[in-house]
Amino acid sequence: MRPSPSLSLLLAASAALTGHAPARADETGSEQYAGYRFNVYSEDALSAPALGDPRRYQVYSQQFLLITPIGNRNTLSVNATHEVMSGSSPWYVLPGADGRPIQVLSGATIRDHRSAATVSLTHDAGGNDTTSISASYSQERDYHSTAIGAERTLPLNAALTLGFGGSFSHDRIEPFEAMLYDRIQRAEKNTTSAFASLSLVLDRYSVVESGIQLNYQSGYLSDPYKLVSVGDALDPDTRPGRRSEAAWLLRYRRAMNENAALHLDSRLAVNSWGQHSLTLAANWYQSLGDGWQLVPGLRYYSQSRARFYAPFFAENAGPFFSSDYRLGAFGAAAANLNLRKRFGHWEFSVGAERYHAATGYALGGTALADPATVSYTRMFAGLDFHFD
Amino acid sequence: MHSNAKSPSLSPNPHLRTECALRWLLAVIALASLAGCATQTVQPWQRGTLARWDMRWDPDPLQAAMDQHAYFSKEGTSGEIGAAGGGCGCN
Amino acid sequence: MGCPCALHLETHDESVAQAVLAAVTGECARLDRKYSHYRDDSLVARIAASAGGAIEVDEETADLLDFAAALHAQSDGLFDITAGALTRLWDAQGGRLPDKAEITIALTVTGWQRVQWRRPVLRLSIPGMRLDLGGIVKEYAADRCATLCRDADIKSGVVDLGGDLALIGPHRDGTAWIVGIKAPRPSGQAAARIELPRGGLATSGDYERALIVDGRRYSHIVDPRSGEPVQGFASVSVVADSCLVAGAAATLAMLMGTDRGGAYLRELGLPHLTIRDDGRIDGDIVRID
Repeated sequence: MRPSPSLSLLLAASAALTGHAPARADETGSEQYAGYRFNVYSEDALSAPALGDPRRYQVYSQQFLLITPIGNRNTLSVNATHEVMSGSSPWYVLPGADGRPIQVLSGATIRDHRSAATVSLTHDAGGNDTTSISASYSQERDYHSTAIGAERTLPLNAALTLGFGGSFSHDRIEPFEAMLYDRIQRAEKNTTSAFASLSLVLDRYSVVESGIQLNYQSGYLSDPYKLVSVGDALDPDTRPGRRSEAAWLLRYRRAMNENAALHLDSRLAVNSWGQHSLTLAANWYQSLGDGWQLVPGLRYYSQSRARFYAPFFAENAGPFFSSDYRLGAFGAAAANLNLRKRFGHWEFSVGAERYHAATGYALGGTALADPATVSYTRMFAGLDFHFD
Repeated sequence: MHSNAKSPSLSPNPHLRTECALRWLLAVIALASLAGCATQTVQPWQRGTLARWDMRWDPDPLQAAMDQHAYFSKEGTSGEIGAAGGGCGCN
Repeated sequence: MGCPCALHLETHDESVAQAVLAAVTGECARLDRKYSHYRDDSLVARIAASAGGAIEVDEETADLLDFAAALHAQSDGLFDITAGALTRLWDAQGGRLPDKAEITIALTVTGWQRVQWRRPVLRLSIPGMRLDLGGIVKEYAADRCATLCRDADIKSGVVDLGGDLALIGPHRDGTAWIVGIKAPRPSGQAAARIELPRGGLATSGDYERALIVDGRRYSHIVDPRSGEPVQGFASVSVVADSCLVAGAAATLAMLMGTDRGGAYLRELGLPHLTIRDDGRIDGDIVRID
């Protein structure tokens, strides 16, 4: 069972004498628990001018997690997800009579499901020195992905810990109704990623972590289900065959008093398609006594557009073009609230997030309005069981 | 179904370069201040607060995973520190 | 150890039992020699003699001092291993209440904040200061003895050092040991009997040593900041994963007194039992009666 704050203090203080290493903030090695979540994701219907069924995506998903120690120094984590998705999706954009973009949605209701599992093994050599390896597999009707990864944390001194790792994934897409809609029949993509981070204990109440992440993708990176209006024709979404990305992350955790903690997270990223983005998030963890905890949070995201993005193009545009709103400039603001209650070995949680993206929210503004920016509501309910 | 209207001109965003430079400046300042941080030595017996559940990088790993998945599929550039999990067709 | 000690074991082999008993007795004797403040040749006596200067201590003592420092910080100064002089003033053996002057003098040599502890060097800044590790060494000894037994392949047993218990392992059939919690008044009867499935049980109590003057009880648990006894429980018992943690929790609850101590024990989340002067019993330990 997760110890109370005052018990954690006693356990940490007595560790040298009793020979039990105390659980550190980022260690879950001594825990054994199982968790279940049920999530609902529901996009708002499109309000901009649109053709086709304006009701967008709905996803119901379930997550399972089991964390269990193996022997004294190892932890096994098994994580499985199953999702059912349905709804219509942006297909292409047309210039309206007045030049304003009109989104055309796929109309036909997509119904698909995704199953994924990740297994990871962590070896804890003590003193914040850990090594872990993981393998994942994800499968949908038209998409398969296999990935492996490894990472290491290493204490450099009493206050500083180095983390680094890498992963590789190989994805395969076989779009459905490929012949009918003249889509590519099969394509592959590889992603290689590496990161390095430093976490620093600032004082008894606060820690900060700074990290760099690099990604490189190659293969088929376009969306086979999307079309682009190029002059008078509708051409398939065509993106470069390579993309690299660099991101800098900064995370800060501070215990405000015995009952509350503040989390601040930020991320700055740039990629070779000309996009850069900023993410800022803040969460406040408030204990209300009696095992209750309330966690409100806010998130702001802003990205700029890819060089080859526009809602629609003149003839002779190219060689790359896409009107997928996710390559356009937009910003998004989200607010979330979670509630947790622990009773004995069980812990129950519920939460909701409201997210709203709009081109007007982007930092620096943009001249291009995109009709398909998304607003959604997410809700979840969860149950955890702690074995010890 | 197609109209003959011309596509809007793709003029480069005049604010882009200043905004870009500003972001890099912020990044450098933040990194530099991190390196120059005067930290107090925290003795082993003082680490109890840091071991609290609400002081973890991710107190709720299942929720963090779901958040990352949602943002990854709806945004162009989201990602996370750590090894990438299995991909999906959602982006 | 200055108290009745017992070792309960279940094993097939008589010679193993004898060997383990010898090892445990040896360990208790070692710790007693090192940390007793009734002996002139103990480490504690040498530390007291070094007051005004510095002394370098070994790993084991350094770990104990780190632990004491943590408890001092966590209890806002209530738990203080330099408070021996004050405690002695309020001891029943004195037979009378100390006067203001005596308290003031004792306070001048009290205060962990007057100690410079930078592992492994200890500096007691004022001559006359003494360290009293009695509050943690007994529980630490119980855990150490239990570890020695487990290392000798003993899988079932309980170490009992004057009511502070450390579990070696459950009965060979898997059932938990049933142990008794001492009663505040020396009636010979246990105040409660409980199962000990893991770790250790420690009891902090002032039953034998409280001063009674003019019909009023004065606890020998003294607040080192004021020099006065706390308005406390008659006894506090806690079960934890180690006797050391159980003892620390029980001692802290005793020091915090009846108003804050109960809330502290509930927040801690460990099974506990408190007994007040009037005999009232509180706490969530599951009792077998």
